[in-house]
Amino acid sequence: MSAAAMLEINGVVIDDTFAEAFPMKATRLVITAHNATWANHAAVALTGFATSVIACGCEAGIERVLEPGETPDGRPGVAVLIFSMSGKDLAKQIERRVGQCVLTCPTTAVYTGLDGPPDADRTALGKNLRFFGDGWQISKVIDGRRYWRVPVMDGEFVAEETTPVVKAVGGGNLLILAHDTEAALGAAEAAVVAMRALPNVILPFPGGVVRSGSKIGSKYASLPASSNDAFCPALTPLAKRTELSAEVGCVMEIVIDGLTDGDVAAAMRVGMEAVVARGAAAGVRRISAGNYGGKLGPYLYRLHALLGKEGA
Amino acid sequence: MSPANDRDANAFRLRLRAQPALRLDLAGFVPQALGGETPSGVARRALWHGNEQVPIGEFFDVEAMAADGPELVFEGDLSRCDGLGRGLDGGRIRVEGDVGDYVGSGMRAGEIVVTGSAGLLAACEMAGGRLEVGGDVGDYAASALPGDMDGMRGGLFIVRGKAGARFGDRMRRGTAVVFGDAGDFLASRLVAGTIAVAGAVGAHCGYGMRRGTLIFAGPQPEPPPTFVPTGHDVQVIWTLLARSLAVHGGPFAALAAARPRRFVGDLAADGKGEWLLPA
Repeated sequence: MSAAAMLEINGVVIDDTFAEAFPMKATRLVITAHNATWANHAAVALTGFATSVIACGCEAGIERVLEPGETPDGRPGVAVLIFSMSGKDLAKQIERRVGQCVLTCPTTAVYTGLDGPPDADRTALGKNLRFFGDGWQISKVIDGRRYWRVPVMDGEFVAEETTPVVKAVGGGNLLILAHDTEAALGAAEAAVVAMRALPNVILPFPGGVVRSGSKIGSKYASLPASSNDAFCPALTPLAKRTELSAEVGCVMEIVIDGLTDGDVAAAMRVGMEAVVARGAAAGVRRISAGNYGGKLGPYLYRLHALLGKEGA
Repeated sequence: MSPANDRDANAFRLRLRAQPALRLDLAGFVPQALGGETPSGVARRALWHGNEQVPIGEFFDVEAMAADGPELVFEGDLSRCDGLGRGLDGGRIRVEGDVGDYVGSGMRAGEIVVTGSAGLLAACEMAGGRLEVGGDVGDYAASALPGDMDGMRGGLFIVRGKAGARFGDRMRRGTAVVFGDAGDFLASRLVAGTIAVAGAVGAHCGYGMRRGTLIFAGPQPEPPPTFVPTGHDVQVIWTLLARSLAVHGGPFAALAAARPRRFVGDLAADGKGEWLLPA
């Protein structure tokens, strides 16, 4: 193992490896409601079952809570980010999720949260949902933006007509290798808190953490992905190739989707810093990352470089 | 004009020397059409004066001026000059004084500012850009040309003074803001769009209105029998509208704090238009 591979901070070893991410399409929506509770209900529902594009169609999460002064209509709100593998998939997910989770939620309204470049692709937001109004819907163009007003039982549902679709990055990740479950969870939770404080990123898995990291392919032909056996402690003495030593009893992964390459990198950096700040005394042994040998995604995040220790 | 001053330019100042004997048609005389022209070249451009064409230099002194982009500035009483900025598709026009009929008609982009008043049919069939009239506008502003189906269909039209009759007749998109009073038949046959008025309105307001929004920031008119109240909460769209109008200041600045009453009508014409009465 080279000197670079032995980078150690506070007793936590940072592997000389990289996370590999891939391009996605994304948008930001702003959901407002009569009060913060109902805005949150809508946002939680909209971002539910959106952990992985493998089977959910999109990856989505709450980016942050918005104060009334930050929203278009002066009410409490929530900003959510939605990522898909293509603009077409994204359009389908937006229509389904906003239609079923925001249109239905009392007092809500929905707007785009992106200005986007003038030539940005745009996808429907209220454009198709308006037909729920059965002909009673009316539109209003305000400062060049079209809003649809759909009569509903609590008044009217206001939705901006379209939202920009921008290029984004999905699949940034960190692997936290710890002595036991308690230590792995504690480190992951600390990293999630630090990463969620940053703008333009979401951590789409439950609580921001995933325990079922996957590798591409499977012995079963019908499965596109399967358990990442190299990082499963149960398989350390069994698997042909393992990345774990006997002292690692639990591994947690944090997946990051961001609007830009830099956003993902920043989140990974603060996540690692939060973990190493706790030190080896908290039970964390190593930080690593998942990749496919650099062959799948164009975005590579070298852990040492993110910490400013490239070549250390 | 000395040859040294007769250089290519994209912005010109035109000073009216004397009132034309007949109506002067300035249609097509827009900044983008004059880019790279010299003042003497501009002065040779022909305009219709009554039924004859005459060089513009017969009526205006033309000089080049410095500007960021294509621009024309007119000085003097242009109340006998019609069609100014007709079909404007970019650039800026400023009139320091009054202007005649059809100002900004069919304009699609760019900006026109008139410090004085405008004649009939200002902003008729305007489709984009920004037109501001510092004084009053005559009848049929923001409406349709005679025989046409659609009136103003986009852009922002601001009237600092009073508006004549039939303001916004058949208007179907865009935003019009009137700081003063409006004449009879305001927003008659309105198809869509937004009209905000700070002054009093004349008779038959909203007659035959199909869709669109009327906002009364000042005196609150009594809705006619063909308009009915709706009792629901419209605070969301109201806030969006009020925040947009607040940039115009004056009586529009504080609308967002109000909780408006909403009436819909004209029930004789589909009834999807709305009046918002914030006071």
